[in-house]
Parts: sequence; C-alpha cells; structure tokens
Amino acid sequence: MKFINLLKKELSELINKQMILGLAVTMIILMFVGNMMESTIGEAVSESYSINICDRDDTELTHTLLNELEASGASVKLCQAEGDDYSAILEENDIPSLVIIPEGFSDTLLTGGTSGQLISISAMDSAATMSNISNDNSGALALIEDRLTNILAIEAGISENQLALMDNPLVISEQTVVADNSAAISIDDVMNDVMMQNMILPIVVFVLIMMTSQMLISTISNEKIDKTLETLLSAPVSRTAVIAAKMLAAAAVALINAAVYMFGFSFFVSGATDSVTEEMNATAAGQFISVDAALEQLGLTLGAVDYIFIGLQLFLTIMICLSVSLILGAMANDIKSSQNMTMPILMLAMVPYLISMLADINSLPMIFRVIVYAIPFTHTFSAMSNLMFGNTAVFFGGLAYQAVVFLLCMFFALKLFKSDKIFTISLNFGQKARFKRNTK
Amino acid sequence: MEKILEVRELSKQYSKVLAADKVSFDIGKGEIFALIGPNGAGKTTTIRMISTLLTPTSGDAVVAGHSVVNAPDKVRQCITYLPDEAGAYKTMTGMAYLKFMAGLFTSDKTTADSYVKRACEICGLGDRLRDKIGSYSRGMIRKLLLARAVMPRPKLAILDEPTSGLDVLNAIEIRKMIKSLAREEGTSFLLSSHNMLEIEFVSDRVGIISNGHLMVTGETAELKQRYSAANLEEVFERVVLENEVH
Repeated sequence: MKFINLLKKELSELINKQMILGLAVTMIILMFVGNMMESTIGEAVSESYSINICDRDDTELTHTLLNELEASGASVKLCQAEGDDYSAILEENDIPSLVIIPEGFSDTLLTGGTSGQLISISAMDSAATMSNISNDNSGALALIEDRLTNILAIEAGISENQLALMDNPLVISEQTVVADNSAAISIDDVMNDVMMQNMILPIVVFVLIMMTSQMLISTISNEKIDKTLETLLSAPVSRTAVIAAKMLAAAAVALINAAVYMFGFSFFVSGATDSVTEEMNATAAGQFISVDAALEQLGLTLGAVDYIFIGLQLFLTIMICLSVSLILGAMANDIKSSQNMTMPILMLAMVPYLISMLADINSLPMIFRVIVYAIPFTHTFSAMSNLMFGNTAVFFGGLAYQAVVFLLCMFFALKLFKSDKIFTISLNFGQKARFKRNTK
Repeated sequence: MEKILEVRELSKQYSKVLAADKVSFDIGKGEIFALIGPNGAGKTTTIRMISTLLTPTSGDAVVAGHSVVNAPDKVRQCITYLPDEAGAYKTMTGMAYLKFMAGLFTSDKTTADSYVKRACEICGLGDRLRDKIGSYSRGMIRKLLLARAVMPRPKLAILDEPTSGLDVLNAIEIRKMIKSLAREEGTSFLLSSHNMLEIEFVSDRVGIISNGHLMVTGETAELKQRYSAANLEEVFERVVLENEVH
C-alpha cells in the first residue's frame, strides 16, 4: 500500500502534460517526415524514367534513337537549347537535367568511326542525397547507350540474339552464405534489408538510455536539493521501497517513450525505404529468389524467442542505467551538477551507438572489441546482429555480463542509499581543490 | 515525567571531523527542547541521528522505547522530521502532498483521511490547498510542512530551524502552533534554532551545543541565573566563549 502510494507520486511527477505533449509532437513529426520522405523518393524514382533531350544533330539516326527511347517506355521531353550557357538552358526549359545531342553526332559515329559525344547537364540543388536523384542523368544515358548500340548493331547486320549474347556473355548465379546456410541472392540485397532492420533498435536504445538516466538523476537530485529526500527517508517506509518506486516509475515512463519512439521511427524508416525495398524485392524475385525468402533460407529472420531475448537485454540495459543513475543523482548537489551527471552515461552510450552504426563490433581488432564490449550497453546495440548471424555465445555472454553489471551497480546503489553517504556524498572537484589550497 | 527521548553519549565521526561528541539529554512527554549552537556546532548532525537518517558512530538514542541503532524502523513510526529549509513537491497541490505524506504513515484510508483533515485545520491554508505548491510563498510552504509534521500525532516532532527565512508574523504563528500542540496534545518537540528570542519564547528547556559537545542543558530561567545573564543570548555567548577558551 505504501509502495503504491510512493509509485503513484513518482509517476505523477514524471508523467505530466508537457511530457505527453512532447511525445505527441515527436510522433506527429516522425510520421510527417516519413510521409514526406515516401512521396519525395517515389517522385524521384518515377522522375528517373523521364529523359529531357535536345537534338541539335537532327538526323535520321537521332530520330530513330528518340523513337526507340519512347518505345522502351521512357518519357522523352524534347527541349530547345542554344549556346553553352547550361544554367540558362535549364532555367529556360524549367528542367533539372538535360542530354544534348550535338551537331555532327551522327557523322562522327557513322562515318568517322569514332565514339559520338553527348553533353549531359545535371543541376545540383543541395547536398541531400534524395534531392539529387531526379537530377542524375545516369539512368537516361544508360538507356540511350543501350538503344544506340541496338540501332548500330542492326545496321551492321548483327542479329538481336547475337547482340544480347555480346551484352551478357556471363550469367552470374550469386550465392550468399551465412554460417551453414546459403541462398541464391546477391549479398548487396541481403545487406540492404538487414541494415534496414537493424536501423531502429540502436536509435531506440540510445533514446531510452538518455531519457531514463536523465529522469532518475533529476528526480533524485531534486529530492536531495529540496531536502524532500530527508523527509521521505525519515518517514516509516523502507528505503528499498523508496528506491524501487523511483526505479519502477522511471522504467515505466522510459518504456512508454521507447514504444512511441519505436513506432515513430519505424514509420519514418518505412517511409524512407519502402519504395527502394519494393524495387529490390522485385529485382531479386525476377532473377533468383525474393529477399524475404532468402533471409528465411539464410536464417536471418528472428523468431518470437529471439525478440524475447532482445527484450530481456533491453530491460537489463535500462536497469543498469537506472542503478548507475541512482548513484550519479545522489552525487549532485545543485541543478547544474545534476545536468552534468548524465555525461558519463551519455559517453558510454555514444561509443557503441556510433560504432554499431558504422561497423560490425565483432570485426574490430581484439583489443578494441574487448574495450567496446566492456561497456554494458554495447551488448544491446549489437543484440539483433548477434542473434541474426548466430553469434549466440557473444549474445548470451553479453546477457550474463549485463546481469552481473546490473547486480553490482544495484548493490552499490542500495548500499549508498542505506548508508549515511546518501546525505554526505557529492562530486565537486572545484570545491575540493579550493579546500586543499586553503589548508596548505 | 514520562521520557519520550533519551539520548545517551551519541557521537558521530566523519572521516576527520568529530561532528557530535557524546551528546546526552532527555525530552519528556509534551516538552519542547531546543538545541542551540553556532554554525557547524553539531545540531543538525545530532538531529539527523535521532531521525534515523545518520547512523551514530557510538552511543544511542531511544525514542518511545525504541533504539535508533537497533530498531530504526520502529523509531520512524514515532517521529516526524522537518529539515531546515525543506521544500515540498512543487508539481503537487498542497492537498495531494498531505494525502501522499499521510499514506506513508498509515495504510488505513480512514486514518489517513483523519491525518489530512487535521493537517488542513492546522496549516490554515484553506482553498489554497487546491493550488500547486510551486505557487506558494515560503511562509505557506513552512506552514504546510509543519502541519505535515504534526498531522500523524507523532510522539516526537523534530523541527530543524522551524521558522528560518520566515517573516515576523509567520514566525509568531508557527511558534504559537508548536506551543499549543505541546500543551494541548502532549506532543514532544526537539527544535534547533539560531534565534534566541524564539527559543526563549517557545522552549521549556534548552541545550547549548558547541564543537560537537553539549555544553549545558536546563530551563531558560535557570540558565540565566546560573550565568548571571539578562537573556538567553548572553547565556549562549558565555557558554560558547567558555568552550572556545577550554
């Protein structure tokens, strides 16, 4: 009953209008950005099948080429362009890219016996990858080259079958192997899909660690600074109940945050990757096997038990974070120092977060691997990857390590709270240095 | 007189500082005892040991028959503690705070309601109890906390600087409240204060503490006579100076 009373108080302090509003705004922003990304990428992908072309040569060959391009399904827009002020040409025609067939192109090709020259103009609007997809002429140029080769081959008396053979003299049967399993799929397709699946967990873990530590550190330090902790601990209620209520409330609020962020980010990521995945699935299915079937065959799909283990590891990470935050919160002696107390946790979370985004922790040199895995949060960042690729020893070793770290941290946190140190401990290096100087 | 608190040679040693050195005194039922002393004399350390927040290095204090060393849980059921310059949860309303604190002293809803009702009457904040504590003045917070400290009818209420930072009118009101609770309900009080006028007005007996030693205890009139002093301030000055000479 007293514990419920404490828990209700902690929850009422953590869950307020500002927090709910913040979560709602975050969710709306992520969903809005996800939708925006989906429509931007979809538009960019569809635009990449349209070709803006200026035919300055105006010969039979170029006319045939334009007809062939239209026949192959590309949307061809004929533009007028005089001179070599390319910026003005794009502006006049209101287009982001253009291919110019210069005068004498056909003569060079047919009688000169050398390669014809095309002018490709692409406008760069920003540094963002997506914004330049529709401005890139590489798709259009590849199609022009393909159609032109066809036309020239027919004129030279080469049959379509012979040309197809010359174009693709090899058929590569790609096989990807994961541990004992193999599937007929390109490694790039597998990597892209796995990378997308592994994208959300590290972000959620990072957000969770930050929120949990900040919440608990500020609640403990505020109680200490306002001296409400003294009132609370002199009341007929056990110190363990006080700590447990604080930890449970912080963990519950952190999990609500995690759920909202996970949902929001999955919406955002699916918005950004759906068009690409569909295309990838179609390509893979056309050639060999669908990506989803390949992942199943390679053992790269996670089952319910795997997700339970990942959840367990996430839970241990939160508990470690909470127990360390209890100690750090007790060391704060003013609001500024309580804000600084999140720094050690931030640093410990930042290292595995960045590494897991850029590299496979298991492929690091041994010494770095040991150092990075010594940070207990690392195991959660690499949990999904370890389970997918069958590194079960690393995964379960990490789980055991996290359990030991949690028990140790909790032992010290309880010891601190049950001793006088909770009222006397503080971390103020400046004050200590001044004290030493004054006593000399 | 029935003894509510018996402090026996209570000592507290921090790494290099002896904050309280064999402090001994008693408080009877319905008695108001004040610990006075300069800053860093050991008042708050002594009070925190009796409140079970700090563990004594040696000695003991027995509250209503329970030892702070051996049965701190039982002691906490008999005392309430109001720290110096304590705050309250700013996001709660005054009423929610009283309900929360009442819920820590009893699991029975009817009893908790009776505690809250009593606290509402004592603090005199009326409709302001529905407002968030963040909007309260310092005096209002102190009245709320004092009402919280006495609402479960503790055998011993420990108040560290009960009127610090308050204006004259609020301080007078709180002193009167303490006196009436002791006289009418038999609550014992252990106070600490720098304000000699306040101590002379409110306390039955005082203890003067300096450098961790409890130098002297006695009734105000008796001490004034013993040190040939016109008031408690002079008694305090002589005792502290005497201690520094020794």
